[in-house]
Amino acid sequence: MNIKKILRLQYLLMVTLLLILSYNIAEAAKGDKEAGKKVYEKKCAWCHGWTGAGDGPAADFLNPRPRDFTSGIYKYKTSNVDNPFPYEDDIFRMISDGMTGTSMPFWKDVLSDKDRWNLVAYVKSLAGLEGEPTAKVNYGKQIGSSAESIKKGKELFIDRCSECHGDEGKGDAMKKLKDDWAGNRLWPRNLTKPWLFRVSSDPKDIYTRISAGIPGTPMPSFDDPASKKKLTEEEKWHVVNYVTSIKNEARRIKEGDTVVKAKRLAGELPKDVNDEKWKDVESTAYPLVGQIIAKERFFTPSVEEITVKAVYNDKDIAFLLEWDDRTNSIPGDAKAQELADGELNEDAVAIQLPVTIPEEMEKPYFGMGDSSHPVNVWHWKSGTTKSEQSIKVMDSTGFKNIKTRDKSNVNGKGSYNKGTWKVMMTRPLKTDNKDDMQFEEGRFTPIAFATWDGTNGEKGSKHTITTWYWILLKPPTGSKVVFIPLLVAGLVFGAELLIARSAQKK
Amino acid sequence: MKISKLSLFALLTIGAYLVLKIVVPIIGRFLHPGTWPLIPTSLLKMYMLFIIATILLYLTSKEESAKELISPIKATLTDPSKRMLRNIIFAVIPLLAAYITYSSVAPSYDAPVELRSIHPAPPSSANIYNKSYNLNSLKNPLRDDAANYAKYVKEGGEVYFKNCFYCHGDKLDGKGHFYQGFDPQPLPFMGTNTIAQLSESFVFWRVATGGPGLPKEGAPWRSAMPIWEHFLSEEEIWKVAMFIYDYSGNKPRTF
Repeated sequence: MNIKKILRLQYLLMVTLLLILSYNIAEAAKGDKEAGKKVYEKKCAWCHGWTGAGDGPAADFLNPRPRDFTSGIYKYKTSNVDNPFPYEDDIFRMISDGMTGTSMPFWKDVLSDKDRWNLVAYVKSLAGLEGEPTAKVNYGKQIGSSAESIKKGKELFIDRCSECHGDEGKGDAMKKLKDDWAGNRLWPRNLTKPWLFRVSSDPKDIYTRISAGIPGTPMPSFDDPASKKKLTEEEKWHVVNYVTSIKNEARRIKEGDTVVKAKRLAGELPKDVNDEKWKDVESTAYPLVGQIIAKERFFTPSVEEITVKAVYNDKDIAFLLEWDDRTNSIPGDAKAQELADGELNEDAVAIQLPVTIPEEMEKPYFGMGDSSHPVNVWHWKSGTTKSEQSIKVMDSTGFKNIKTRDKSNVNGKGSYNKGTWKVMMTRPLKTDNKDDMQFEEGRFTPIAFATWDGTNGEKGSKHTITTWYWILLKPPTGSKVVFIPLLVAGLVFGAELLIARSAQKK
Repeated sequence: MKISKLSLFALLTIGAYLVLKIVVPIIGRFLHPGTWPLIPTSLLKMYMLFIIATILLYLTSKEESAKELISPIKATLTDPSKRMLRNIIFAVIPLLAAYITYSSVAPSYDAPVELRSIHPAPPSSANIYNKSYNLNSLKNPLRDDAANYAKYVKEGGEVYFKNCFYCHGDKLDGKGHFYQGFDPQPLPFMGTNTIAQLSESFVFWRVATGGPGLPKEGAPWRSAMPIWEHFLSEEEIWKVAMFIYDYSGNKPRTF
């Protein structure tokens, strides 16, 4: 055998290997639905159901409900308006990265690429979907954000989008929306909180949603040539730039930021929620979750965050509580009733404080206190067509031991505007009532919050809660803070001189 | 090359600091992938105090070695040619002291640190479902019925995905869609450092009596774990325990 021949053989071998390899890759990309079924039954069926109909044991506890794969409708796709179904890449991405703001987790940390491709093949088979779409959304030439583009985008947004997403994009418009699967209730996205966008808040992804729409929901494709609302590529980029510009960063929860930073004011406290004095006060955002610890429990809240500010002077303390709620729930109001799915209740918010500021770590139980550690609850309600807004003070030593006082020494006044509640509560720092917590400057004091969305069936024990956080009435810095470090510096310098002198003498 | 004793002191101190600050977390990461276990600052300060004392002891153990260590300091203090350096050092040290004092006396919004025991020692007996249980000898009664193991695990899964997953996670990783709202955050079951270290009777006790059933060192006032004996039957708790062990590939501790 001569060298040439060996080389040729090697070459042949390599080509064969490459062919086998590429064939395997192509096969892997398609995924094996039988292998996918095994993974599905271990990981996915609990929510999406054993037949893929979105009816697993967890389904009733979720909002949004898990996807029904038997319908073949997929919300998030990059295929264009002519193609009702997604690319396999789109499904693969949702499995890998999950969907923010829902219970769908990202699976790329526990499932291999192969497992996830097999899942894609299996969930497609549940609706008999085959093949790939014919064309992607056309992105044209991306237009960068600028004041001019945002202005154009805003005009288009008010004209095309505000009907559902609201004048300020908080998803608060007055329309009752349903999905195409089982007529489940849907709410338009609050666009000022992009960190909760299901897929991502990347401009390209927002562009994709505007172009492809969200199948199964009332969100249309703005590429539909038959629609009067059709947008050109350029117009879509303007809308994207507007949407990314209305982000409300103050509403974003910052990990580790757990303290309400009460600021001391020299003069009068703010008069109402819109007082200019609130502007310079630092806010803290807290996550709200369903009340799942005591009967009746609540699993599907509509509000996921509350933002809190506080100020105080010699006499009083005032809180400003702000949260995005898509509906102003007014029992007795026909229009408000129309938006509710069942019974319509008042919206409400509450602050919980321990009666005694803990000296050590031990606090009252965070759910309405406990028998040896009572709590105060200030409970504001939004009122009905027949009754005004109201605020009550409650003394509680546990879920079953809540007493409402006849007279409230807390004032509360709220105002609803375009998808946001703002409620101000005021109380004297010190009171004569031994059952009241007495505020003290400079002491970390536990505080917790709760909200009720009356349109979402929230009432009584069905509401959102937080765990214990802190409030600190930060005392004015004063002269001590400057004086002590100067004294220390002086002493150290004196000691240095002494050491130097004794060293030089020797 | 011979390095001066003072530089050696500085090098050893910095080296020890870096080991505690970086090498220890790297080892931790290697043992428990996905984590970056830092040494708490208060502990770090204590370790550093001992380490510095040890280094000083070592460097001053011999007379000439001690002299060598001190000589550059002495030179800086006395040598007229090092006047400039001396002045700079004399200015910097009091400023540094003032800064450290300032940061400890200035009021700050940094929340107090709260410590709690994650797996507090269980009581030897507990009152659950109005019955007294000896937790040392309590066994999962369903484990003996090996023929129905798969059925119990599946039923336990249904209990889990109706009651537990919104905190403990779809992936049993402690990151359900409500996890961010609670402190302490829900316990993950995957990996080998949580339920694998616990006996099944401990799991039963923790589930049945929930957060309020914790002893004081477990900070029962903070835990959002519901008192499950109010919501689930005994059998359901044993089944869900079987499910979380099965799903995570762990076995209950039996010794």
